[in-house]
Amino acid sequence: MSRRGSRTGAQVGTPPRVLSGIVKVILTVTYLVPLLWIVIEAFKSDNQSLTAPDALIFAPTLATFRTVIGTATGSVLLSLLIAAIATAAVTVVGVPAAYALTRRTSPGWGRVIAVVLTILLILQMVPQPMTVIPLYGVLARWHLLGSVTGLVVADTALVLPFSILLLRPFALAVPKSLYEAAALDGAGNAQIFLRIVIPLLRNGIATVASIVFIIVWGEFIYATNFLTEGSQLPVSALLAEQISIYSANWNRLMALALLTSLPLLAVFLFAQRRLTAGLTLGAVR
Amino acid sequence: MTADLRSGKAGAALGAGRPPDCVPTRARRVTAPWAYLLAAVVLLALVCVYPLAELVHLAFSAVGPTNLIGSWPWAGLANFRAVLANPELMQAVRVTAELTVMLLVSDLVLGFVVASVLVSQSYSTSAVMSLMVFVWALPPLVSGTVWKFLLSSNGAVNSLLGLLGFQPVDFLASPTLALWSVGLVTCWAALPFATLVLRSGMLAVPRDVIEAAAIDGARYGKIQTRIVLPLLRPTMGILAILAVIYSFQGFNFIYVMTEGGPGTATANVPFLAYQQAFTSFELSGGAAIALLALAFVLVLAVPYALSVRHEEHE
Repeated sequence: MSRRGSRTGAQVGTPPRVLSGIVKVILTVTYLVPLLWIVIEAFKSDNQSLTAPDALIFAPTLATFRTVIGTATGSVLLSLLIAAIATAAVTVVGVPAAYALTRRTSPGWGRVIAVVLTILLILQMVPQPMTVIPLYGVLARWHLLGSVTGLVVADTALVLPFSILLLRPFALAVPKSLYEAAALDGAGNAQIFLRIVIPLLRNGIATVASIVFIIVWGEFIYATNFLTEGSQLPVSALLAEQISIYSANWNRLMALALLTSLPLLAVFLFAQRRLTAGLTLGAVR
Repeated sequence: MTADLRSGKAGAALGAGRPPDCVPTRARRVTAPWAYLLAAVVLLALVCVYPLAELVHLAFSAVGPTNLIGSWPWAGLANFRAVLANPELMQAVRVTAELTVMLLVSDLVLGFVVASVLVSQSYSTSAVMSLMVFVWALPPLVSGTVWKFLLSSNGAVNSLLGLLGFQPVDFLASPTLALWSVGLVTCWAALPFATLVLRSGMLAVPRDVIEAAAIDGARYGKIQTRIVLPLLRPTMGILAILAVIYSFQGFNFIYVMTEGGPGTATANVPFLAYQQAFTSFELSGGAAIALLALAFVLVLAVPYALSVRHEEHE
């Protein structure tokens, strides 16, 4: 019997330690160094960044970060507002839809569910770049081009299909016996929905809210094209704009990138477990 | 993606199997909850389906910045003829294909290796996993900006090369290297997802199968290639489809890192469509390219969607 075969059950089938160690080190370096670089550069002054962008030893300053916060406060607030409205819209529409898509009350309704789910899966796979052009035309026709409302509409369109798909498994997880007991007590759809589904879907709503926040917060293609030049931009669009204007001021760009990442870090720490499952679904956004 | 949908399978089967007449007469018959679906269907139709119809409409019309609001004159196939005669489209198709191949190799090969390592449970594993998932959750805008900085002519990668005695390399300005740079960053950003998907597939491989093989004396490498890999084939198939579609998202990194350049060296098909519409203001030309790309995506997405639906029905 081989040495490996005699090991305890938990260790069977695990990779050799050396290989696994090397892979983990490589992964840590490739994924951590870029993040560290954001932080390091954000604490350099304009001069330090210009003369030695790669210096690891320097006198850190908060000046850059302070300047950037000064210019970006309005953008951060706007981003928060857009994310909040999009999340609210998706939740208000998506939670009832997720409930409706789990109740096979009749064969006919079952077919409706099948059709809607297939359409949702396909819509969710339409790459975002393909939707910029038609949304531009549609928003122009609705006279929403250049307004925050128009951007909210676009962002809602971006996240709605997968939000419903993501909420549905949470609704499916509600035990059928609860529905049956409620029906025995003479409860209709409204009572079942309000008393059973909403309280049990709290986790799902938190997951969807976190992911919608992450996507809307980082969205910049709609924001740069659907808002008029010179108007208040959300933080992601501000970063995108600064990249093309100040491509050499790395310290400012990194400070802005850091500012953009911090709320995401907060959401990540708060909801990592949920995200891992949820983002997997939303990956093709 | 499918993990969630599958976890709901048991529940759906339970409900479907219940004969309707076992509900006692006193119970209220719950009607189809169509009213709960109505708002979502209306909103989806307005903001998701209608714009796609407008994409088709735009592609067959002659629309520029002057008549965007107004009537769209019918142009028939003129836009498609112009687009297909444009040599930039062939170049963009080539770029897209190359990005897709890079992403497929990275997702399936590197993804498998990384998932094999990160499937074991330990503190270091979950730390690496968390780091990767966080990077994945970062907007491509942010990660693209950092890489643009790291790969710039006076960036960290070139400093490191300098320390090792190499000449600086124009990662983003060289026509031959720019595509590799954008491609590798796209792969870097997508690897955490591939790892998550393959890892959950590996965790679903029955323990006793692996243990039996180990008792028979199979070594780790053999277990992974002869037992785990074949069992992961369906997962890999799904991941491959997603990788092809995801390669379109290379758009974000192209936009941030190279803006399609130098020249058109890194413009993939979605980026070309975007440039036509928003840089040259030929909305209809852009729409025609986008529609062609979308048709390609749908060829992959529809069978995928149907198979996911089918799985859930069983």
